[in-house]
Amino acid sequence: MMRWPVGAAVLAAALVAVSGCRPASPGPVQITLQRFFGACDAEFGASTDVPAAEGECGIITTLINKFNADNPDIWVKVNIVYWPGYDQLSAELAAGHPPDVVTMHESVISDYSQRHLIMPLDAMLASAGIDPAGFTRAAREGVTRDGSVYALPFDNWAPLWHLNLNLLRAAGLVRDGAPVLPHSPEELLQQARQFTRATGKPYLIQSIVNDPAASARNLFTGLMQQNSDFFADPRRIRLQTPEARRVLQLFKQIRDEGLTTKDQDYTAATAAFLNGQGGVYIVGTWMIGTYEQASLQPGSPLAGGYTVVPFPQLYPGRDVTYADGHSWVVPNAKRSVQKTAAIARLLRFLRDNDFQWSRTGHLPAYQDVIDSARWRALPHRTEVARLVDTAASLPAGVQRQFTIQQIISEEMESAITGQKPIDSALADAERRVNDLLFNLL
Amino acid sequence: MTARTASAAAGAGRHRALPALLAVASLAMAAPLLWTLLLSLKPNGELLRSTRSAFSPPYTLQNYTDILGHSAVFAWLLNSTIVSLAVTLGVLALSSLAGYGFARLRFPGRGVIFIVVLFGLAIPEQSVIIARHQMFSALNLHNTYRGLIFPGLAAPFGVFLMTQYFRATPQELEEAAALDGASRFKIFWRILLPLSLPAQATLGIFTFLSTWNDYWWPLISATDSDMYTLTVGVASSQMNFAQTNGLGFLMAQAVFASVPILIVYVIFQRYIVAGVSRAAA
Repeated sequence: MMRWPVGAAVLAAALVAVSGCRPASPGPVQITLQRFFGACDAEFGASTDVPAAEGECGIITTLINKFNADNPDIWVKVNIVYWPGYDQLSAELAAGHPPDVVTMHESVISDYSQRHLIMPLDAMLASAGIDPAGFTRAAREGVTRDGSVYALPFDNWAPLWHLNLNLLRAAGLVRDGAPVLPHSPEELLQQARQFTRATGKPYLIQSIVNDPAASARNLFTGLMQQNSDFFADPRRIRLQTPEARRVLQLFKQIRDEGLTTKDQDYTAATAAFLNGQGGVYIVGTWMIGTYEQASLQPGSPLAGGYTVVPFPQLYPGRDVTYADGHSWVVPNAKRSVQKTAAIARLLRFLRDNDFQWSRTGHLPAYQDVIDSARWRALPHRTEVARLVDTAASLPAGVQRQFTIQQIISEEMESAITGQKPIDSALADAERRVNDLLFNLL
Repeated sequence: MTARTASAAAGAGRHRALPALLAVASLAMAAPLLWTLLLSLKPNGELLRSTRSAFSPPYTLQNYTDILGHSAVFAWLLNSTIVSLAVTLGVLALSSLAGYGFARLRFPGRGVIFIVVLFGLAIPEQSVIIARHQMFSALNLHNTYRGLIFPGLAAPFGVFLMTQYFRATPQELEEAAALDGASRFKIFWRILLPLSLPAQATLGIFTFLSTWNDYWWPLISATDSDMYTLTVGVASSQMNFAQTNGLGFLMAQAVFASVPILIVYVIFQRYIVAGVSRAAA
């Protein structure tokens, strides 16, 4: 009778041998597309009905299904990764086997373009008949590095003010059917006090516990609105400035006066707005659909009383909101002419279907979609359309933006909650970010 | 009241308090699991509004249907099973042989080699991950079962455990067998190996559990979705902000991924408890 070690070794060897068996690649030219946005095969796995699909996952799944159905000479194999997927992408690049097309945040492009890990797409876009002049300004700036286009933009998104009009009306902050919005920090405080006095609820709903980016986005927006050139050198941030101090002071005062929800994470804040626990929730474009749906349900605290606007201009510099966006990049790798042509055709298809993607709530990356009647007919799109002109990202050369956002959010939370004096938090944020950027390869 | 009566009353009190204490402790430990199960049976939309709805009907199996509706989930399950079984069997084979060698055989450099093996216990995986990733890239092992199995076979804890176990086995058993003319291999095969079954069961179960739950190495080695293990696969199917917009689905994934482990635990419960007790001792 065979016993342990030998039996185990034989079975283990047999299992190891199975490794030789790999599924065969279907289709003549296979492209590997790597994306986040989750999986929803149960609902949309076999669907090619793009207009009927909903949500990020549903729309991107049916889009790729449709591309595969319409292009029998190409097979797009989808690799879904856990958001944001950059650990996997880096591992694939290190192993020399990157996917062909990858979702990438525009704020992350510099991390890869500066090390030549992704390819400039100017020639490929030209071959696909995609003219970057058709990109919106925000999208073009988001994907351009050193004069070259490194990605096909898919959307832009920015922190918006989602408004509970029912509560704002009760507080006297709706005039002629339109919300009364602040135009300065003083007005913001005054309106927030008025709101809280009238409703007994906090004016702002904020996610500032363990949120890797929300506070940083507020700071970036506040600094940009004051024309603060806090990244004059892309490898050095300046945060010990009166402008930065002003923004932190404002959010600290809002908290100290009880004008905001406290100690909420993203989940709690999202639910709080849905449940009518405050007047204004600062969160991205992606929540428009969810809250619009809630406003159509009788009995919901948002019933008949929801709208959304871009971040108001609070400082006298310029009307601007920090923004980011999703895009498609092509990692550098040796590819056949056929495969390169197939990738170009896929990019063209994605560009042509940007309207479908914009139904997620994200801002289209193409001016013709923005100008189209069908996009403007979607709920609340006219209210946020001016973001095309006011959205701005950090300077293109700034690397490690995800980590920078996390550092700044941590330090801001410390200052706003009173764990650190504002000046210490800004000094610490500046030092930590600059350490990070100084040590870049 | 005599001293004896008082002592008996105190004993009875302790007797009653202990089960109550254990019940409270059990409830505290089971609460997160029950909470996970409850959330997994609720529609995501309801949970987005408030998780308090978990305590009231209606309940649904939709989240589980969504998981099973994913075309790749059974492939991931198979991948995890193949990798976990191969690593477990490989570790058992290698650790038994190495453990016997260190415990019973005399060869030059034995002490030094044993210490080198023990160093492996002190070196965290994180410190070698880049070198290992590069090595596996050079050998073209990423996105293969071998790439997922080989790192798990280096098991210094297994070697240490089996060495200690064989050392604790009475030498007289071997001497008696040797007097009867048994060869070295026959002694190992027929006498010591059967005796080491409890240690092997312990080692096997812990190896299987840790391999099944491994996330990091499969995340960066098995980057092709066909080669995902269950842990990486279920994570990849989560939407952005899954904890907010898809909480029920997220919890169903947690339950689904833990079911095979629960089955292993139920089957081998006796060995696991014995193994933990032995390790503590």
